[in-house]
Amino acid sequence: MEETIIPKTSTVLFTLFRADLATLISNRRSGIITLFVPLIILISWKGMVPKVGGPFVLSTAITIGLMAIGLMGYSISISRDRDKGIFQRLRVAPVPTWAIMVSRISIQLMMIMILTLAVFVVGFENDKILLSWQGYAVTFFVAFLGGAVYLSVGQLIVGLIKNPETVNAVTRLVYFLFIMVGMFGELGVLGLKLKDIVHWSPYGSVKLMLAASMEPAKWNDDTTMAVLATIAYIVVFAGIGIKNFKWSSK
Amino acid sequence: MSVEQNKYILKVEGLHVNYGNIVAVNNVGFDVLQGEIFGLLGPNGAGKTSTLSAIEGLIKFKEGTIIVNGQSVSEKPLHARASMGVQLQSTSFQPELNVVQILQLFSGIYGVPMSKDKIKDTLAAIGLEDAAQKKFSQLSGGQQQRVSLVIATIHNPKLVLLDEPTTGLDPQARRQLWERIEAIRERGHAVLLTTHSMEEAESVCDRIAIIDHGRVIAVDTPQALIDKHRDDPEVIAVSRRGKITLEDVFIGLTGTTVRA
Repeated sequence: MEETIIPKTSTVLFTLFRADLATLISNRRSGIITLFVPLIILISWKGMVPKVGGPFVLSTAITIGLMAIGLMGYSISISRDRDKGIFQRLRVAPVPTWAIMVSRISIQLMMIMILTLAVFVVGFENDKILLSWQGYAVTFFVAFLGGAVYLSVGQLIVGLIKNPETVNAVTRLVYFLFIMVGMFGELGVLGLKLKDIVHWSPYGSVKLMLAASMEPAKWNDDTTMAVLATIAYIVVFAGIGIKNFKWSSK
Repeated sequence: MSVEQNKYILKVEGLHVNYGNIVAVNNVGFDVLQGEIFGLLGPNGAGKTSTLSAIEGLIKFKEGTIIVNGQSVSEKPLHARASMGVQLQSTSFQPELNVVQILQLFSGIYGVPMSKDKIKDTLAAIGLEDAAQKKFSQLSGGQQQRVSLVIATIHNPKLVLLDEPTTGLDPQARRQLWERIEAIRERGHAVLLTTHSMEEAESVCDRIAIIDHGRVIAVDTPQALIDKHRDDPEVIAVSRRGKITLEDVFIGLTGTTVRA
């Protein structure tokens, strides 16, 4: 028996990340669309900034961008690649399965970073929203936590649904529901009961957390509860999604 | 045939694969020796792909042992997988990546990084130097198979698994692929392939196993199987050309019923 070469995990991760990045760059149009909706909100809500405050506008834009990344970016690409057998081809190589997912999630985290930066820049340039350096720093970290909620929702969808067309339809529906019910519900247009539900939903918790992180001095018990709710959502959604996930759609 | 006797690269013993209550593979066992092309033949749903998937580590098996180059697939999966190269049945590369990027990806994850010159030489060897920047989906079926085969052997594996490698290829591309598979054998590698083509099994395989209803029902060289079963009434009954072929033996052993 001859010694077999098991590549270093760092080499495998770097190689997978490079390929996933090349895929992302090749699909840059969908990446741009992901940024499109949050930036449109920032630009079109310019007149609302004095009324609702900069953190409200920025947190709404980031939350909607995070939803697009987790739902559209992550789950649709995972279900497509699963259906094409791309994961199976990687799994027959000496690659730990977690490395495949870590690479995919790293790409989404990079997208979250780009989104947050883009929102900060456009928010400043267009809406003249300026945060303290602490606000920018904390929001960056909180954006990753908020992004994790929507990535876990995406994981839940691909864990429970195998058919890529169904995944596509469901993610769009969930995205639309989150935006419509989240935004209108939060403003109280859909009734007080729904306002409460939205407040503690993944949409509301992430938004609350983001808005508070932009003004760290205003952090209160409600915000801490939102962080805890966010973590609970991540654990439950990701847990169910990972447990039920199949590497092949067949 | 350059088989080094008794030096098996793959050993499958008492393999059982179940999907819920359905038994897909029932006590399957066979060896593939160094420098041998071994064919796994069977009707649709016979258990070929399940057996192959168990060897590749894609599915968990209920019972049995699979040893690849001395490494147990269930105990040391990464070591076992590092010893095998796989060409799956369907196209399975990211459609956005070009040929060079696919080669870089797989050379990296198999731990054999390739320089630009090495990639160029590799593509030239398979006549695809002009297709380096093409997306995989833009290649013809024959070109895709050549890229897939290069990737399956990129790390010089002891065992190469090919799942219906010539499906959908024209006769020229098929012949070319057979030559490439034989070249793999000449380099001392073992090859396990599944096929529905009796012509392919007869032309390329040193030994074959016929599998049906999850069980291996015959293992031997193609000629030995023909000789052994040429007088079976079931085989004579399905013979069409007055001469017993491997296909006659196959249908005689597995029946004439069309499988789903």
